[in-house]
Amino acid sequence: MFFEHDPQDVTRILFQNFPTWMAVRFYLIGAAACVVFAYGVWTNIRKYRRGVRSGAWSPFWPRVWQMVATVLTHRTIKRRAEAAGRSHSWIFYGFAALFVGTSIITLEHDILEPLTGLTFWYGWFYLAFSAVLDLAGVALIAGLIYMMYRRKLLALPRLDYTRPDRSPGDPDYDRSGYRREDWAFLWTLIAIAFTGFLLEASRLVWLQGDAVVWDYRWFSPVGTTTAYLMKALGLGPDGAAQLRLGLWWFHGMLALLFIALVPYTKVKHIFTAMGSLMARDTEAKRRMPTANVDGERIGYSVLTDFTDKYLLNLDACTKCGRCHEACPANASGYPLSPRDLVLSLRELANDTLSHAAMPKGPITVSGDGVNMIRSETLWSCRTCAACVEICPVGIEHLPMIVQMRRALIEDGDFDPMLQLTLKSLQKSGNALGESKRKRPRWTKNLDFEIKDARTQPVDVLWYVGDYASFDPRSQKVTIAFAKILHAAGIDFGILYEDEQTAGNDVRRVGEEGLFQALAAANIELLNSCEFSSMVTTDPHTYNTIRNEYPEFGGNYLIEHASAMLERLIREGRIPTPVNLNYRVTYHDPCHLGRINDGAEPPRQVLRRLGVDLVELRRIRENSFCCGAGGGRIWLADPPAMKKPAELRAAEAAEIAGLDVLVVNCPKCLNMMEDGVKGSGNEGKFRVMELIELVQEAMGLIGDTTSDDGDNVLREAGAPA
Amino acid sequence: MKIMVAVKQVAFLDDEFEIRDDGRDVGEDFFEKDLNEFDHFSVEQAMLIKEAAGGDAEVVIVIVGDEDADDALRTALAKGADRGIRVWDDALAEADGIAVAKVLAKLVEREKPDMVFTGAQSADFGSAVTGMALAGFLGWPHAAVVSNLDYASGARTATLRRELEGGLEEIMTIRCPAVLSIQLGINQPRYASLRGIKQAKQKPVDELSLDDLGLSAAEVAPASRVRRMYAPERGKAELITGSAAEQAARLAEIIKELRGM
Repeated sequence: MFFEHDPQDVTRILFQNFPTWMAVRFYLIGAAACVVFAYGVWTNIRKYRRGVRSGAWSPFWPRVWQMVATVLTHRTIKRRAEAAGRSHSWIFYGFAALFVGTSIITLEHDILEPLTGLTFWYGWFYLAFSAVLDLAGVALIAGLIYMMYRRKLLALPRLDYTRPDRSPGDPDYDRSGYRREDWAFLWTLIAIAFTGFLLEASRLVWLQGDAVVWDYRWFSPVGTTTAYLMKALGLGPDGAAQLRLGLWWFHGMLALLFIALVPYTKVKHIFTAMGSLMARDTEAKRRMPTANVDGERIGYSVLTDFTDKYLLNLDACTKCGRCHEACPANASGYPLSPRDLVLSLRELANDTLSHAAMPKGPITVSGDGVNMIRSETLWSCRTCAACVEICPVGIEHLPMIVQMRRALIEDGDFDPMLQLTLKSLQKSGNALGESKRKRPRWTKNLDFEIKDARTQPVDVLWYVGDYASFDPRSQKVTIAFAKILHAAGIDFGILYEDEQTAGNDVRRVGEEGLFQALAAANIELLNSCEFSSMVTTDPHTYNTIRNEYPEFGGNYLIEHASAMLERLIREGRIPTPVNLNYRVTYHDPCHLGRINDGAEPPRQVLRRLGVDLVELRRIRENSFCCGAGGGRIWLADPPAMKKPAELRAAEAAEIAGLDVLVVNCPKCLNMMEDGVKGSGNEGKFRVMELIELVQEAMGLIGDTTSDDGDNVLREAGAPA
Repeated sequence: MKIMVAVKQVAFLDDEFEIRDDGRDVGEDFFEKDLNEFDHFSVEQAMLIKEAAGGDAEVVIVIVGDEDADDALRTALAKGADRGIRVWDDALAEADGIAVAKVLAKLVEREKPDMVFTGAQSADFGSAVTGMALAGFLGWPHAAVVSNLDYASGARTATLRRELEGGLEEIMTIRCPAVLSIQLGINQPRYASLRGIKQAKQKPVDELSLDDLGLSAAEVAPASRVRRMYAPERGKAELITGSAAEQAARLAEIIKELRGM
């Protein structure tokens, strides 16, 4: 093709036919746009740096590579929104290619050529460049159109920013400004893309007589098609020259305006999301931040208590609404949406930390004012980590909530019911207001003695946990697990009266001082015992001992009961169970399935039991919390509210012919039994622990301990 | 302006317990100790007055007890009180409410507070006598079982409401300084976080003996003495089932049995 022309001539002449003053004016405007952009970037960075330094971006390079991989694959954006993720990737790659293309031109024209005389933007490179950018423009437009369709015609509830926890008339109620910003963003970007094509087409029409342009037109397929259209409409070279000049300025100004506005609008997520993904803590859902309990203050009560990373998190939110949709509190009508929490704090930060001078007084975060976080919002959280898990840009809502709760606990801003629980925990190490001596009383229902791990070495130390020790319904499961371990010939023991709650929920409710005291006492005790591994039936206990105790000097190998059962069955240590003829479904506990990757072992166990497992709609890492976590099991749900467990029970009830809803956590058991009753499904199916099914399959039912939980207490000598 | 709040560390029984060998108390192993429930409310009331005065009031917590009682004292201090005083002497081991009141009266003379609060009673023994005995020793105005209080820091009088029998309530104005015993429910006590309790260790606590207060062991000899503590015999209950005739027959049988016929 180049046989007829010098490849050097096959290019686009920049500022072709521009008078000098016009090119100069363009450069001046371009420089101004860059200054406005840079100033905006700086004010944002200044805002983040007004938080507490976190060091969350180091080690720098490994974090960069991880972030780049996440962004390039769109891994997090595609989750649970395949179409949106795909469209976003078109916009992303289209925009990125166009941006890189423009930068290449700048590199040659404004840097390399004036400095070294080097040029490369011609010939084959130029033609390939033209084709790629045409494609990029198409991708960009297609992606943007889908996003418009998604907003206008799909009208997804998760994209409605109206706050369910505010009333009409509240200044932060409908937030229509966000919607307008969304549309302005889409229209601006699509206008830039369209005018780009029109500009390209008008140039072709204008220069149709110039062979080095016209002969290579099909390397710009969209521009050329549009050019033919223009010609068909009667546009000649002279008119096209006029049009081209007008479009050139319109397109250029719009693009520069866009660049200048990046740091001031939602477009900033290009950078903030990357920064946020880089700083992401993969342990954020498992381990709450450790606080200095001897310090003067604790938790986050003012905005400047937030770390720079969390302040950046606030700006990274793209309002995609996935957390809003995943949140069990929001789904049940509680005044909490993780998205709204983040957006409120963002607005608060913009109002207070964006200016040259800091506000005079402290910037209180909890309260009833505009953009402040209400205490009932913080107390609605179940710490199920569904929000952290699904956030495509790595926002860590949960640790922020726990930090704010710590300040509320210190101020006494919480439900009086919780005070009784915390006092009971302080006094006797359990949340149920029981005495320490009562903790091992369930063992009296066994026809064998459980070893005392405090005084003799055991192979497996079983950390029983609060609900499993005291709750009459859970005691049946606890007894069943003891019998299974006994039957499997496991050398195991418990800590009897000296076990205290491990503290998972104590920490998540915000009583960090009490958590650390419990952890220290438990670790001291555990370290004085001789054992090779630990087991627990409670995923909350499991999570804390596994992920939070190491920081306090407790390093143990711990298994959840379901993983241990799976292993024992696989190794043949539990006699091959008989098949159970049930249709079952399985509810993943948050602290196992989502937070600790423990979704598979319980399913393996169910498979071995031969039951017909029909999955729920929301499973594994997308499980829907029963509503017990974060200390909520200690608080009453207002009667007018739907409980998360009721929604979950209704979900299970959709399964035709369901016999058993299998749970795998003492707290889930407690909540789901209530949820089945509360949702009007009592009698339709049973709620059983996985352990109980194993017990049944092993034929261990029917001896001394098949009675109900009431007997456990009565026989143990409770007063009549 | 100073408010003195007298608190007590009480014992909570486990529901399975054994009586001590001498038969005069429950074995030490069978109870857990904590700050008296009523004292959460009296401390809170003092704190509310202090806070309403813009902090311009001192709240002093006093307790009679051995080292063990430090936990209860610190819990009260963690709620925001300024300092504590703990009085102990082995001679106080069997002290009753009257003896404790004598000790408290000496503390009042020493501290000269403008107002003294106690809990309406202790959750373990429930004598409800300490506060009123203290007022008696001091010759101060007093009111028991106060369920509502209108008192500003430094005021010369306080207006209060107290609960009487039969659903009656009494509203009275009392001259200050006075001794008030505070009823449950007068306010919503705040929570003392474990962190707060730990940090309360740094608050000043005076440890005093009877000598320091100019009291002799004889002066605090208890006016009463526990002779025996025992679990009363359990009553019996039986659910009678069957037809009406069967039930009647069983009932007659039981009556005969009980009357020894």
